[in-house]
Amino acid sequence: MTSGLGYRVIGAVAGVAVLGAAIVLVGTEAGRALFDREASETMAETLESYCVSCHNGIDLTANLALDGNELTDIGAHAEVWEKVLHRLDGGSMPPLGEPRPGSDAYETIVGHLEAELDAAAAVAPNAGRLPLLRRLTRTEYKNAIRDLLALDNLPVEMDFELLLPADNASSGFDNIADLLFVSPVTMERYLGAAQKIARLAVGDPRMPTMVNIHRLPLELPQDEPVAGLPFGTRGGLVTETYFPLDADYVFVIEPGRAREIHEVELTIDGERVALGEVGRGSGGPGGDSRLEFRVPVSAGPHIVGATFVRRTHALDESTVRVQRRSRGTLPAIELVTISGPFAPTGSGTTPSRDRIFLCTPEVAADEAPCARRILATLAGRAYRRPVTDADIEPLMAFYEDGRNEGGFDAGVQRALERLLVSPLFLYRIERVPESAEAGQPFPVSPVELASRLSFFLWSSLPDDRLLELATSGALADDDVLVAEAERMLKDPRAASLVNNFAAQWLFLRDVEAKDPDVFIFRDYDEGLREAFMHETELFVGSVLREERSVLDLIRADYTFVNERLAEHYGIPHIKGSRFRRVTFPEGNPRGGLLGQGSILTLTSYPTRTSPVLRGKYILDNLLASPPPPPPPDVPALEAAMNDEQATMTLRESMARHRENPECASCHALMDPIGFAFENFDAIGRWRETEGGLPIDVASTLVDGTVVDGVEGLRALLLSDSERFVSAVTEKLLMYALGRNVQYYDRPTIRDIVRAAADDDHTFSALIRGIVTSVPFRMRMTSDAQPTGGEG
Amino acid sequence: MFVTRKALPRRTFLRGVGTSLALPLLDSMFPAFAADAASGPPRLGFIYAGNGIVHEHWTPKTAGTDFELTRNLASLVNVREQLNVVSGLAHLEADTKGDGTGDHPRASAAWLTGVHAYDRTRPGVEVKLATSADQIAARVIGADTQLPSIELSIDPPMQGACDAGDCFYVNTVSWRNETTPNLAELHPRVVFERLFGDGGSSEERLARARVTRSILDSVLDEAARLAGTLGAGDARKLDEYLDSVREIERRIQSAESSGAQDIALPERPTSIPDTYQEHARIMYDLQVLAFQADITRITSMIVARELSGLSYPNIGVSNGHHNVSHHRDDPDLIDEKTRIDTYHVELFAEFVEKLQATPDGDGSLLDHSLILYGSGMGDGNLHRHDELPLLTVGRLGGKIRTGQHLVYPRHTPMTNLLLTVLDKVDAEVDSLGDSTGRLSPDLLSS
Repeated sequence: MTSGLGYRVIGAVAGVAVLGAAIVLVGTEAGRALFDREASETMAETLESYCVSCHNGIDLTANLALDGNELTDIGAHAEVWEKVLHRLDGGSMPPLGEPRPGSDAYETIVGHLEAELDAAAAVAPNAGRLPLLRRLTRTEYKNAIRDLLALDNLPVEMDFELLLPADNASSGFDNIADLLFVSPVTMERYLGAAQKIARLAVGDPRMPTMVNIHRLPLELPQDEPVAGLPFGTRGGLVTETYFPLDADYVFVIEPGRAREIHEVELTIDGERVALGEVGRGSGGPGGDSRLEFRVPVSAGPHIVGATFVRRTHALDESTVRVQRRSRGTLPAIELVTISGPFAPTGSGTTPSRDRIFLCTPEVAADEAPCARRILATLAGRAYRRPVTDADIEPLMAFYEDGRNEGGFDAGVQRALERLLVSPLFLYRIERVPESAEAGQPFPVSPVELASRLSFFLWSSLPDDRLLELATSGALADDDVLVAEAERMLKDPRAASLVNNFAAQWLFLRDVEAKDPDVFIFRDYDEGLREAFMHETELFVGSVLREERSVLDLIRADYTFVNERLAEHYGIPHIKGSRFRRVTFPEGNPRGGLLGQGSILTLTSYPTRTSPVLRGKYILDNLLASPPPPPPPDVPALEAAMNDEQATMTLRESMARHRENPECASCHALMDPIGFAFENFDAIGRWRETEGGLPIDVASTLVDGTVVDGVEGLRALLLSDSERFVSAVTEKLLMYALGRNVQYYDRPTIRDIVRAAADDDHTFSALIRGIVTSVPFRMRMTSDAQPTGGEG
Repeated sequence: MFVTRKALPRRTFLRGVGTSLALPLLDSMFPAFAADAASGPPRLGFIYAGNGIVHEHWTPKTAGTDFELTRNLASLVNVREQLNVVSGLAHLEADTKGDGTGDHPRASAAWLTGVHAYDRTRPGVEVKLATSADQIAARVIGADTQLPSIELSIDPPMQGACDAGDCFYVNTVSWRNETTPNLAELHPRVVFERLFGDGGSSEERLARARVTRSILDSVLDEAARLAGTLGAGDARKLDEYLDSVREIERRIQSAESSGAQDIALPERPTSIPDTYQEHARIMYDLQVLAFQADITRITSMIVARELSGLSYPNIGVSNGHHNVSHHRDDPDLIDEKTRIDTYHVELFAEFVEKLQATPDGDGSLLDHSLILYGSGMGDGNLHRHDELPLLTVGRLGGKIRTGQHLVYPRHTPMTNLLLTVLDKVDAEVDSLGDSTGRLSPDLLSS
């Protein structure tokens, strides 16, 4: 089971190295490298002097035995050596307090291991293991529906979070092929979703009424105008939502209790369609706390606004709303319910119907050919490949069935419903050709590659152009592949790299789950929480779109703020809810991800900061070097402090924690990084003191480097920039492949990082590297299990 | 059978959950369930409360029938006669095998399977567990009901990184087979619609069932054709699909053959309640309803998953549950952890009291049920998988002797208990995970 255990070679290290031939050729034409005998000897001596006293076949510290390894054939034991390389590269071994080799030795060994491992991988590449079928994730399904049927912003009753279950995740990513299970419960949900989506897309006049409840967070102040609503209004809801039919809809607006009379207006696409009053004494149609309007709306997506008309002077409502910033001081709209359709007059003209109905049969004889054309087009897009009669016939059978019951549209709707539960739609499918040899990687077909590309860059279906290039075979060409990737990166659908990839990589969704203590952090509210998320998304998006180096994620001198966030960060002269780019003056500590409220908050406890969580986050998410978890019986010291510790500062008590050698080995890695952030409080505000005492943000790393504050940490990350770039690449690769990254992927990652150096490590350069890499373009037969691990 | 609803006022449901029983009495409206009506069919429930407990406050001091209820268990006083506290059992397969420190994921993975969950993130390791005890039972006593089982949770699934290995092992305790976990549903509305459908008259429901069945037939053909074209490779995912389609087909067939029936039901819940307490109560109520209407006879629910980050401000615990569970013998933290565990048992006690108050056949639902409550972790502070906190409530139609604190020798596999329970519902299997036999002596059987 464990790598180290299965791997003990007998014999003394130094002896073996000497036995090695002076020059051993490793590899074939593809990966020829010279065996560097001198480096090998340095490595043997260093291992002997600094490593094997713990990592030997008897002590097996960390399940790793380095004594007696065949140093002439590094590639044969890649799993062990990649682990060693990772530890040395990060400088985390030998541990604190143990003697360390000189930096020359580090460099020699790292260089030697890399050269050997990369050469071996070039000779015998390992594409890794993936199942033949991979279910679409909920996000991919949602995007596929958007692109296939031009259906977006579904009514909340059809929210995808209700339609389909959440997917399991590994390291934050929910697109891991192995974990995308289907059980009868999932199948039931797919059947239900298909029925609802098909009738919405086609505009089924028999569709039942929906009750769509839009609840506004209580913690969202509504004292100011909301972005997207007209000037002269304040607070309220603005949302784009889909109206299924040309019909009447009932809007119920429920503000909290108001002492005074307030005007509330309802807008559709910016036009006022209704106006009413709430508040004591107002005689609105729904009494004084509730407004109800019945309004005809055309089918399709519309922007609905429900908001207060702003008064010219402030009124004293302070006793109505709790006097706390997070609640605001004025009455707020709490609930907007949109029910309908009522008294429908037709399916209307919608983007969905435009996209589906490529033809309109004039006479009965035209119907079947038209249906066939419609369904063949839908199936081609949905199944992401050229379709055959065998694909169309089952759909036509359902068309006929529905047609006989309810006419042409009903036939198309029935066939669409059937298509949406087809395994050909729900799964990405890759086949193993008969020519595939066991243990040898083989390229996936161009059509399969198109899906790999589109699900990576768009989290969605390939578009027609990409599919055409795949069908013609052109996509197999490197230049075409790269050009397509670049085209796709410029498409709006590439936003999924921000809101799906980056959000999962950085655990941004955790911000939603964080609840800073309201008594300590009275400033924290829903508006700030949303601003945090939005800032980071805009920021990562800018690095991607502007072809910036991924290092700008650390070193950028700009960010995006609105008034709420600017105030939080102490940036003057920013007014209103609109986000805009601001450049920090030199010496400002905020630039880059490290200074952003989202990350500073999601790595804190409700009541205070956590240097450990922050240190762990940097190691795990930004450096892809997760520290091992704490042993259970000496758990998170900081969870609480007992009486004795209460008299010490957090820093002192953690220093005591590190006196325990078992704790120290990991905390020595995490804590100094975490302490560098201490000028930011648990919701990311800048502070110079804590409890009246000045904050000490300087610490010493295992290798003796001093990290002084967040500026020092930034400098540290940039000083070994390849490490950060490698980590970003590793996360991107995991997301691109839909599987956990393994030791045999490390040569690929190093290749990509090296190649992207010429382009200053832009996201697009890394993505080019990934899409042309072995694991992205190839697969292996399943009986060619990688060696080096066992189940 | 289709259950279609005549709406009762929504308040009946939403407000009724809580102190007093306000569920509509469905029993008299179900003449169709005559088969077992005299005695009431057997029902099993499996309630998981992760992160272990503090033994001092869980385990009664003495064995036998005269034991005193501890602080954790005090709220079970009204069902004491139907209660067994079972001590001494273990899940040693949840211990590490040198493969990292996923003590928490392994605890919930082993709970109903007795199988070690290997760290799938390592090269060459795949998802592989075993059919869980609830599912083994479901194949027997769930075969005739609309749903063989339902799986619920009131603790949001883990999505980010967990301490090691794969987080998804903490999100469910129910495994359909060795490679397919059952999804634990959080949303009361989704559960409600699974149980009672999403509206429409009986005729509409029947027409709908016909369409669904033809869709399933058709995709089954398509999937079979697909299987022939894949080539040599890992096609397990297709098997999951085929298995799921066939299961839904079976359900629809059995529903069609027993016809439609209109009964009064509360209006469906709309959203996940804002508070843990309301969420727990509505999900427990749905289980009572499901048992009562005999829509399913097997339920499982996670009330606290392993590594849970939930805090409980209403009982004075503002730290996350998992953090609190590592109390390091700090008296304040021990108190917080104990408060959490006591609270979970209190909400559970409301559930079993409702079962007791609901007539079923010749007795109450509780008379015909066995609800197992507990954790795959004993001492959560130390990540121990022995001395597991476990209790059962209900007599399972008189097959279970109750009112006792049973103390088994240290490290007796919990799977031995599960085997004994499976025997009682005629779902005998030779072994389960690390089982070494039935509970011996079998103090559980009456």
